[in-house]
Amino acid sequence: MTLVNIEKASFSYGTGHIFKDLSLKVDRGEICCLLGPNGCGKTTLLDCILGTLQLKTGRILINNKETKGMKPGQRARQIAYVPQRHEHTFPYTVLEIAMMGRAAYISMFSSPSEVDKKIAEEALEMVGMTGFRNRPYTQLSGGEGQMVMIARALAQKTPLIIMDEPTAHLDFHNELLILETMSDLVKDFGLSIIMATHAPNHALYFENKGISASAALMHQGCFLAHGSPRDVLYEQSIKTLYNINTKVVSFDIDKDETRTQIIPIGTDRLQP
Amino acid sequence: MNSTKKTTTWFIIITAPIACIMISLCLGRYPIPFSEVVEIFWCKLTLSTCTLPDVQQSVVWDIRFPRAVLGAMVGGSLAISGAAFQGLFKNPLVSSGILGVSSGAGFGAALAILLFNTALVIYPMALFFGILAVCLSYMIGRIYKTSPVIMLVLGGVIVSSVFSALISFAKYVADPYEQLPTIVFWLMGSLASARVEDIAIAGIPMVLGVLGLLAVRWQINVLSMGDKEARTLGVNTRRIRGIIIVSATLATAGAVCISGVIGWIGLVIPHISRMLAGNDNKILMPLSVSLGACFLILVDNLGRIITGSEIPLGILTALVGGPFFVYLLKKTKGGGW
Repeated sequence: MTLVNIEKASFSYGTGHIFKDLSLKVDRGEICCLLGPNGCGKTTLLDCILGTLQLKTGRILINNKETKGMKPGQRARQIAYVPQRHEHTFPYTVLEIAMMGRAAYISMFSSPSEVDKKIAEEALEMVGMTGFRNRPYTQLSGGEGQMVMIARALAQKTPLIIMDEPTAHLDFHNELLILETMSDLVKDFGLSIIMATHAPNHALYFENKGISASAALMHQGCFLAHGSPRDVLYEQSIKTLYNINTKVVSFDIDKDETRTQIIPIGTDRLQP
Repeated sequence: MNSTKKTTTWFIIITAPIACIMISLCLGRYPIPFSEVVEIFWCKLTLSTCTLPDVQQSVVWDIRFPRAVLGAMVGGSLAISGAAFQGLFKNPLVSSGILGVSSGAGFGAALAILLFNTALVIYPMALFFGILAVCLSYMIGRIYKTSPVIMLVLGGVIVSSVFSALISFAKYVADPYEQLPTIVFWLMGSLASARVEDIAIAGIPMVLGVLGLLAVRWQINVLSMGDKEARTLGVNTRRIRGIIIVSATLATAGAVCISGVIGWIGLVIPHISRMLAGNDNKILMPLSVSLGACFLILVDNLGRIITGSEIPLGILTALVGGPFFVYLLKKTKGGGW
């Protein structure tokens, strides 16, 4: 069942188009990975879905409802957002941060109820951060901090979560931990996720895990390809996208589990 | 925060300013025992005749009581406005004067002293110019729409410095024997002129402002996540920002027009509250009101008691508050900063 439907979306700052006539569908329970080089417009597209930027033409539907003209509160009950890098301000506790995910359900002149608190606690539980609930979030490591941001998004109880490079600046362990958490959320709760990422292997990882995943390759303001990661990610498409030489390898890690990965080989730069 | 701690905190928030007001009624050049203060209060409230001398009644009811109440309102207003602006601008170094309200009000007062030299005109002029300064900052902040918060701060900085220059100009052209000392003393801040009628005039903007900020206080938490995140969390950032700016301006302008420029409270009281109760504005903002009120009453008492002629409040708040702040920093290790 289609959850997000982007129809012929175009955006420009002034004259030059950032992207043009993009169409994309994301189902319930699907992870869609937006791939493309720096500056190709991934974040801009995400901002348009989030409503922080307005499309020039085209439209975006969620649950068959057009997002344009939605109030922030309405939108925030459909779409949650996990930022690439959260700028720390005051040392709020982890639970206070998670409760902010309830803002869309709380009227302007009131504050979170016991029910909101319980939902926030459940969200922390879902990402395994219950033990941190009274810690100042400014003192957490990058990976823990990102988990709190995911918990805040979960407290919003939306069908869709937008993540902008959620594993950027995370170490090897935390990167995988975030990916595993995302897989669980999609598998167990039927959430949909649209994520921008620089790692084609993330898309393959989700597909390998048997999750309904797709990869959309953004190139010069258009989609070069969109489909199941194994179908659209191969040596030639990666070459067009990033101008690097790669090798796609498959290997067995178990009797019945095969993994596919893309190994970067080299760029075409002239050797000195 | 568990429920017993919550109840205790709320109990302290409400009773502490009342206790401070009661104490300040006893203190001064003419000490009055607490029992007599209570008796005078009882008589006034029940409208019965009092056996105590008229001088005593007058000192407590007409002089000290309005002054203490006004001090509480001014301190509370400045502190909560500072806390709200710190959240709005995501910056702990911001205080209630960030959008130029203090310098604007200062100039309004200086102008009133230059032109008319009666207290009756000083209040409305200070209030008007304080609000005008914030409107100017807001308009400058709207020139660039992409980063509204940074532009707003920039607008505040510009407007503050322009009005500071205008204050200097007013001092420069003022008559050095009559007007100049008046301007200088006004700018240093004092509650000495407080009368019952003043509570009514300056009290309205202060009460409205404080209530407005208390009403949206939890939303300030969300707003301090930054504009983009706050919007994706479902907050109408423009509306909340508007409510905060209008309320904080009313509160601060109301405070400044009656008491002069009292720095420090809007910066440091919110921090002291952060150290004591954490950063959740749900509890932080009421606590700031309470602590701000207590702090200003106590400092005002010091100012009245230490020497025969009163020491201006702006001087004492910094002299007393500074060391106390350092002590708290050391004691609480900064509360997670």
